[in-house]
Amino acid sequence: MNEREHLPVATGPYPPTEEMLAVPVSKEEQERGKAELRAAWKTPEGWRYFSAVNNTEVGVWYCLTAFAFMLIAGLLALAIRVQLAFPDNTFLDADRFNQFFTMHGSAMMFLFAVPMFEAISILLLPAFCGARDMPFPRLSAFGYWCFLIGGCFVLGSLIFDAGPKAGWFMYPPLATKEEGIGPDVWLLGLSFIEVASIAAAVELIVGSLKCRPPGMRVNIMPLYAWYVMVVGGMILFAFPPLIAGDFLFELERSFDWPFFDPTRGGDPVLWQHLFWIFGHPEVYIVFLPSIAIAAMIVPTVAQRPIVGYSWIVLSAVGTGFLSFGLWVHHMFTTGLPQLSLGFFSAASEAVVIPTGIQLFAFVATLMVGRVKMSLPMLWIAGALAIFVAGGLTGVMLAIVPFNWQVHDTYFIVAHLHYTLFGGMVFPVIAGVYYFYPFFRKKLLSETLGRWAFWLIFTGFNVTFLPMHLTGLRGMPRRIFTYPESAGWGTLNMISTVGAFVIAAGFAVFVYDLLRSKKNQPQIPRNPWGAGTLEFSHDVPDEAWGVRSIPHVTSRYPLWEQDKIVERMDAGRYYLPDAPDHQRETIVTSVIDAKPVYVQRVTGPAWITLWAAGFTGGAFIFPTFHMYAPAIVCGAFAIVCVLYWLWTATARPPKDQMRDVGLGLRLPTYASGPDSVGWWAVWITMLGDATAYASLVFGFFFYWTARPDFPPEGAAHPTGLWVACAAAALFLTWALTVTAREVNRRGGVALARGALLVAMAAAAGGAASLAASVTALDPTTHVYPAIMWALMVWVVVHVGAGVIMLGYCLAGSLFGKLTSLYDADLQNVTLFWHFLVLEALVTATVLGLVPGWLA
Amino acid sequence: MTNRQQEVREFRDEALSLWRITFGPVIWATHFVACYGLTSLICATDGQVDELRLGIGIGTLVALVGIAWLGWQAWRQWDVLHNRDWENDSGTSQDRHQFLGHAAFLLAIISFIGVTYVSLPALLIGTCQ
Repeated sequence: MNEREHLPVATGPYPPTEEMLAVPVSKEEQERGKAELRAAWKTPEGWRYFSAVNNTEVGVWYCLTAFAFMLIAGLLALAIRVQLAFPDNTFLDADRFNQFFTMHGSAMMFLFAVPMFEAISILLLPAFCGARDMPFPRLSAFGYWCFLIGGCFVLGSLIFDAGPKAGWFMYPPLATKEEGIGPDVWLLGLSFIEVASIAAAVELIVGSLKCRPPGMRVNIMPLYAWYVMVVGGMILFAFPPLIAGDFLFELERSFDWPFFDPTRGGDPVLWQHLFWIFGHPEVYIVFLPSIAIAAMIVPTVAQRPIVGYSWIVLSAVGTGFLSFGLWVHHMFTTGLPQLSLGFFSAASEAVVIPTGIQLFAFVATLMVGRVKMSLPMLWIAGALAIFVAGGLTGVMLAIVPFNWQVHDTYFIVAHLHYTLFGGMVFPVIAGVYYFYPFFRKKLLSETLGRWAFWLIFTGFNVTFLPMHLTGLRGMPRRIFTYPESAGWGTLNMISTVGAFVIAAGFAVFVYDLLRSKKNQPQIPRNPWGAGTLEFSHDVPDEAWGVRSIPHVTSRYPLWEQDKIVERMDAGRYYLPDAPDHQRETIVTSVIDAKPVYVQRVTGPAWITLWAAGFTGGAFIFPTFHMYAPAIVCGAFAIVCVLYWLWTATARPPKDQMRDVGLGLRLPTYASGPDSVGWWAVWITMLGDATAYASLVFGFFFYWTARPDFPPEGAAHPTGLWVACAAAALFLTWALTVTAREVNRRGGVALARGALLVAMAAAAGGAASLAASVTALDPTTHVYPAIMWALMVWVVVHVGAGVIMLGYCLAGSLFGKLTSLYDADLQNVTLFWHFLVLEALVTATVLGLVPGWLA
Repeated sequence: MTNRQQEVREFRDEALSLWRITFGPVIWATHFVACYGLTSLICATDGQVDELRLGIGIGTLVALVGIAWLGWQAWRQWDVLHNRDWENDSGTSQDRHQFLGHAAFLLAIISFIGVTYVSLPALLIGTCQ
């Protein structure tokens, strides 16, 4: 074996000195750099425009689509309000009403609130970080197209009168027994979108960890980037339990495996646990990024740095943590022990502290600054007022006896709309006004903005303030009509009138957003006088992100670093040109943002659209129980993703080093923890492991909750096959690690052999695991069903693992993966680290735990 | 020095502060899950809560001591009394180090309050029903 080779490392001076930065750049040099960058970052034109993957295009599409879905969900809400305006109204029948309120909630949550955060972040994060683009632009584009297809599918079901009607929380047994395809549309359509959400979360976390400009250490990151990391992390731990729940739910709907059927050992409360472990953090997943927008607007409005930066970071992290301890406060009436309810009541009160700190920090900043009530600030002020009111009713609801009184009444509807409108809708609209000049190079109308604000603010309070009273007077949620004798008519009429005032406000806002602004003069470059990097953008627009990537040494570089914009414009900083017409950005270290390497960023492509289309097919066909076309689509989706990875990622570079300016030379390839791909796999697998842990939690939940688990005389998985599976999958992992190590030392042939044997061992392991449960009938009881579910989970993952091993083998054979350029193999090994753990835990649960329980 | 070594050194410098930031909330989470899990188990079986309450009390004390110790370490890392720098807002390695100390200190406070709150029901409620 050869001596181990190393990839080259950064050389040259870093950080740059003031003298280096002061050296002027010649006019010709500047023009050459600009021309090259323009060529590299050119946005495709004509019909090819839709093959674009740049964050500025995908981000805008994403925002507009999420906003359109919100308007549709808003129209559903209007229809609901019309129906409830009078007692005994017949505008909607019960069935359609149920479809409408289910879809209103589902769409607002899954098609607006979360995607909107990701859309805004994809659009803005690179600008906050002075990066050229997100680390994986094609992944953003893939996520967007998945979202569009999934969203149209789910909302489209209403047109065919086939929408889900069991509520956005899909409680079994109502939802498991529901006739028609409604629940399947919900489960499969939204699982598909959740996958896209997780993809975006991975991208955003890696973006804020590794794509900050040189010098932007963690203590001077824009607060928005901190919030993105916290929220991305929350998505990784919150969404997977729901995906695991969806998986069990769909197995029950499609194959009659009785996870939630009490007559066969199942338990509907498991769904509630899995749903709310997702559902409660979700509220904060929606709230925190919107507060992050406020954290960017408030310092600008006050014209001074934010007060208590560390306090806000702590509050974001603290809220992120504590919000996971609250899920049972949605389940106070399910008959859990009082003591348990007490813990969740207490935790619900505790989360007020970090939430409150953030608001106090904003108020303090405004008090010490010189505030001008600009339009974005007006919306933020409205948000604070409404959110505080929602927070106060939240404190009330966290108290168990009060909660019992108002459970499932309109009081809850009022509370949740106050928190979500104040915590999400208002700050997002503030963000639209504030950032519009950044992404459209125009300003929205001051007059129309104030009209929209007062209409929505007034309408909102007219609609939802009376609902507290309607609820206290006993009106239950989700009823489609009520008798006159109930005495709720007047209050409901007031709410309905308010709803139309909100709608009028949104109409003004939409008109302002979409009206032609051709005659508006060119706006100044930094119209609000902000201090963060996004307002160093070029006016008129250029597609390159930043002209050159600056060296950042303060929290508000535009205020605190002299001449920074001038030098960025002159191409004085890093990557001021693109000699090969390739898209590139600088990847830096996680804590101190030291330059590590230059990442080739992928450009426009149709393959992401194809991949999203086939992935959509794989999720949508099973809704109609059409499994053959679904499998074909799944296979094509895999082929598309493999083609896209093969042609565009981790290819050995033409030149090992790239001169990035200021005398610094950086490598053009990285593998292992240096590279963004490795971080992406690591983060994805954390989410994957969480989903898997939720399934294992299900197993132990049944054990504690049900006396008949496992049932007397139940058949158990075959120990021998389980042991074979564990051994084979462990061997696969060991061989994969061996392949990585010998490949790095130059033993290419040996590595290929190890990969080949690993593939065979993995296939054998999967087959053994499947064989171990074949004697069990999953439809008879939840015990065999959960055994099967664990088996299916691992076998599917092993399938993915085998494809990955094959991909590395092919890479090695065709020169894509060498002993030096081994990023693919490093990432696949990381995947197998997680998978071998999941396999061993599964083997323990299948093979050993039944013996312990006996 | 390779890139890998550079990043490893950067992580090693701050490994302790990163652990401090993580451990406060992790102690809160562990305490929370233990309280909830034990209570579910005991209330589902014999419903004898006296030992449970004592156990939660002891566990809470251990958790609070742990968090207080972390907080003290973080307070020293923040070092605010020495240099009176409340903001730590410059791009130097010293400010980065103190900022991480500050964040860990504040998180320890939140975790301390969280653990105290969660243990209160066990102090006040003496029954599963």
